Amino acid sequence: MATTTLDIFRYQPDVSDASYRQSFELEHPSDLTLLDAILKLQDEQDGTLAIRYSCRSAICGSCACKANGKTVLACMTQVEDVKREFETETVQVDPIGNFAPLKDLIVDLDPFWDKFKSVKPYLVPDGPAPERERLVSKEDMQKLFRESACILCAACYSECNSLAADPDFVGPAALAWGYRFAGDVRDGQRKQRAKLYTGEHGVWDCTRCMYCNERCPKGVNPRDAIEKLGGIAFQEGRSMKDAGARHAKAFLLSMRTGGKLNETVLVPFTDPIKAHLDIPFAIQMMRHGKAPSPIPHRIKKLKEVQQLMKNVKETI
Amino acid sequence: MATQFAYYPGCIAEFSSKELDATTKALAPMLDIELLPMPAATCCGAGDIAEAKPNLYLTLNVRILSQAEEMGVDILTICNVCTLNLRRANKMVKEDARLLEQVNEELVKVGARPYEGTKEVTHLLWYLATEEGLSLLEKQGPRGLNGLRVAPYYGCQLLRPSSVMGFEDPDRPQSLERLITALGGEVADYEAKSKCCGFPIVLAREAVALRESHVALSQSRDAGADCMVTPCPLCHLAMDAYQRKAEALNGTEYNMPVLHLPQLIGLALGLDRKVMDFKRHMVPVDRVLETVGV
Ligand code: SF4
Ligand code: SF4
Ligand code: FES
Repeated sequence: MATTTLDIFRYQPDVSDASYRQSFELEHPSDLTLLDAILKLQDEQDGTLAIRYSCRSAICGSCACKANGKTVLACMTQVEDVKREFETETVQVDPIGNFAPLKDLIVDLDPFWDKFKSVKPYLVPDGPAPERERLVSKEDMQKLFRESACILCAACYSECNSLAADPDFVGPAALAWGYRFAGDVRDGQRKQRAKLYTGEHGVWDCTRCMYCNERCPKGVNPRDAIEKLGGIAFQEGRSMKDAGARHAKAFLLSMRTGGKLNETVLVPFTDPIKAHLDIPFAIQMMRHGKAPSPIPHRIKKLKEVQQLMKNVKETI
Repeated sequence: MATQFAYYPGCIAEFSSKELDATTKALAPMLDIELLPMPAATCCGAGDIAEAKPNLYLTLNVRILSQAEEMGVDILTICNVCTLNLRRANKMVKEDARLLEQVNEELVKVGARPYEGTKEVTHLLWYLATEEGLSLLEKQGPRGLNGLRVAPYYGCQLLRPSSVMGFEDPDRPQSLERLITALGGEVADYEAKSKCCGFPIVLAREAVALRESHVALSQSRDAGADCMVTPCPLCHLAMDAYQRKAEALNGTEYNMPVLHLPQLIGLALGLDRKVMDFKRHMVPVDRVLETVGV
């Protein structure tokens, strides 16, 4: 048997508007999961303690919470492992981040579901239905393998740095689902989807903090899906339609002209109006030598690169 | 004999943050490192070329790896983003022989050398934050940082995804802390040291980016830091060049000098101040220089 102090975030709006923390001592077998630990507390010490769960086997995605600040699925995390990882005797438990708490560890998931729905998370095939089902090759399905594994647990959403700064960002899970359909050969809405996912708060709002790839308990790698959606957007002719896309386009232009990033091109190309309005900042940058020469640098063997840019085919 | 590396400073250190490149080059002999130039290397494409043209992104990065292979040395970087992109490409082709073959076909077609998959990519911080690295610093008999309170700022892409980076625990990194302490500084600890600086979207979504950098800037200020130090020139731009904008947007003052990692080392080892070119910083570093006594 092991003993653990669980320091739990409490919020009971029917009693008080203020949240507080409560410590529980728990004696438990050494292989107890965090979810079972909380359920044991609920059973033996405080019946009002609330957590959302269902499958208890990492499938339904409902039990995500923070253990010592790190988002995990409570049912696939053992208390002793958390203690070992963080070298502590106490496990601090909190609701997932980027959500409003409803009660204790239960949060209001409505914004998450709304964003999920906003990406049209279903196939919209083109043309009349075939007599039998629409067949997909193993190879084509393999391309969506990771994204298809998402259980909508919101662990990625909980840690997304862009979301913390902009609650309207559609977020990693919804975009992973976006790719799961935009990349499906049976879908007939690739162009429309490229448009849908790349406006404000979409693909280009991801700041590449990589938390989503790190935290996803299912190996979905949402950031990689976002990258693939960017590729689809470019293929579908959206390379100039948003400041984020133009930013990426400026990298390609720099690559072609000199092989290295040309920052002089980057700013005005990304957002010409803002670049114009931001002249005082540009002057300050220049004063500190941060405005590079407008004559692009040229790497050796630039021809190789220019030829690669012509030859390499994109197959997303 | 000095340890040789193919030196990949990345675009930012060569252009808008020249002080980082200059300091690294000046520091290298003191650390027994020889930096070999890579004149035919391209930009790593950051996340941008990856987003626009994923296959091209991979091919360009493998081309860089192949150049280091031809030189017979591993790559050393001084940028989080370059480290991630080069390592990621390296991992992708090392783990998938068919993919490597496809990429090499493209390289050979344009007359570039195919990659055999034998090289590694490391960051200066990683090279120095090991026992051997720290002993290189010790050999210099550090003059020390005189108790300077330094807030370590890792940023994201040197830590995550750990499956690609893997040097240390992304949730409890310690390499910068080890260096700060070894150099005679004090660590000002704060939670947001591994959160995002927002830089990748600062041109397209400035307000969102500045709300991100606010978290680390305000926390390091509240931790009583004399300065921040970062191993990434993009984090440096976000925290230094954009700091006044972040102050205006978030309605608060940070007044936080931000040092590049090699500058912190240079200060401790007594590197010529002129080389480190602190004039290029947007937030003055006077109080840092005063504390260290240079
Ligand atoms: S992508 Fe991963 S972390 Fe995000 S909701 Fe899906 S399973 Fe959960
Ligand atoms: S990589 Fe992008 S989507 Fe993923 S957590 Fe970071 S900002 Fe959010
Ligand atoms: S209870 Fe279903 S995932 Fe944890």
